[in-house]
Amino acid sequence: MSEAEVSIPPGLVSLERRQNASALTQTRPDPSLPHVLDVEGVSVTIRGKTIVKDISFWIPKGEFVCLCGPNGAGKSTVLKAIMGLLPTSAGKITIGGEDVVAGHHKIGYVPQRKGFDRDFPARAVDLIVAALRGKWPVRIREHERERARAALKKIGGERLLDKPLAGLSGGETQRVFLARALINDPSLIVLDEPTAGVDAKGRGELLELMTGISRSDELAAILVTHNLAAVAQTAERIVYIEAGRLLCWGLPQELLGQSSLTALAFQARDHHAHAPDDE
Amino acid sequence: MDWLVDPLGYSFMQRALIAGIAVSAVCAVIGVFIVQRGLAFLGDGLAHAAFGGIAIGLFIGASVDNAVWIAIPFTAIIALGIGFVLRKTQLRGDVATGVFFSFSFALGVLFLGLRTAADRQVSVESLLFGNMLFVTPSVLKVVVIVSIVTLIITALVWARLAYAIFDPELAAISGVPVAVLEYLLLVETAVVVVVAVKTVGVVLVSSFVIIPAATARLIGSTLARATLLALAIGTLGSVIGLFASFHLKTATAATIILIHSAGFGLALAWSRLRR
Repeated sequence: MSEAEVSIPPGLVSLERRQNASALTQTRPDPSLPHVLDVEGVSVTIRGKTIVKDISFWIPKGEFVCLCGPNGAGKSTVLKAIMGLLPTSAGKITIGGEDVVAGHHKIGYVPQRKGFDRDFPARAVDLIVAALRGKWPVRIREHERERARAALKKIGGERLLDKPLAGLSGGETQRVFLARALINDPSLIVLDEPTAGVDAKGRGELLELMTGISRSDELAAILVTHNLAAVAQTAERIVYIEAGRLLCWGLPQELLGQSSLTALAFQARDHHAHAPDDE
Repeated sequence: MDWLVDPLGYSFMQRALIAGIAVSAVCAVIGVFIVQRGLAFLGDGLAHAAFGGIAIGLFIGASVDNAVWIAIPFTAIIALGIGFVLRKTQLRGDVATGVFFSFSFALGVLFLGLRTAADRQVSVESLLFGNMLFVTPSVLKVVVIVSIVTLIITALVWARLAYAIFDPELAAISGVPVAVLEYLLLVETAVVVVVAVKTVGVVLVSSFVIIPAATARLIGSTLARATLLALAIGTLGSVIGLFASFHLKTATAATIILIHSAGFGLALAWSRLRR
């Protein structure tokens, strides 16, 4: 593992907080490892307002990264830019060396807000096969059904295959969306607050499942969460964003101490009540 | 069989049958997406926009039949306006539709009022309520062509449109052009509604869009099945309603809608019993 100096761009983050962050040891990934996601100097401007500025980090193969920060820090904006849903105003994002638009099939996505139409007559298998085809299935072929079954089996949800989505619990819905995210054999899985709406027991199981899949399949993962317990349970590395800027990027043991990230997160609540509202 | 064969001895009934099947089929298929998207009020709004377009056409000297060529682009622009407001603001579909509906209808009333006594006579009642039995061969040709083209386009984009309606964000991530498809659906609905207004009138056209689609949604377990069911329910209801209106001497479009409504009632009862 190589150690590097943190370069925090000037901006809304106060000098004192930047100095606090700079004082932390922050170990970066070994540069010799294969890169799955590269975020290089990325800024996103929406209607003339800069939401995130000059963000840079990268994720090697098989690493489970937590993207953290207070409400409105710009986490969802970074995530949308990675998904190719928001254009960058500066910098570039590549997935396995490919531009995000060309490489979108290499990303499996589990959304936070399940924005799907709950009145839509759909079963779990329809949703998973739709991700496979890139369009809604009229009729599901046997080999597609078997792939959907295999993806559900991987996350312990085989019995959900023909269940209507509208009748699933929060935890079951998350499992189906996780199977959907895995169906195209992605190299990066993006998890946006995946345990929202799931009970405490189910939350722990889901996080264990996700880290387990990441390890066994050498799948890079990026988890966005506000939950420090979830970070502690899953993170192999932490990327901490505040007021649209990268504040620190390092190992959990370096950043989760009493006087480091936890303290930073609590300070952020007090200092950034008027941060960009993107979440 | 005489009750079935005799009416078809009249050419107006033959034209009404073809127009009824074409309008019902295309309205029902589009209606499945409109109902699923939560825009049931859209058919009504666009029908009133079509009234505004026809009134502008009449004001600039077109005949009632030719005014449709002014009404189609006018209603399509109104549909795109509704789509723009839906995408760019937090307003709900019924609010966006309501604003454009009122504007277009007021424009129609204003332009009809600006016509002088020397202008061609127009029956506002026939515009509002239509009459399937008075469909001329030229109008029938437009109805059939628009219906076939719209059904073909809808069949081609069905799977992507369904994905976009299920979840726009997931569909966009999968490479589906969500905005383009939403605008396409709105323009298709506008064109179909204008053409349907010529046969069933402004007031009743939305029933052809909503009722068969809502009935199919009650009993169809997947969106594909609901689409096929809506097509069958819409066309069958039209044929039964047309023949019933001939023998009972009742208003054609109204009789068809009552048949469709009876079908909805039966589907509702069946779906409740099935639970």
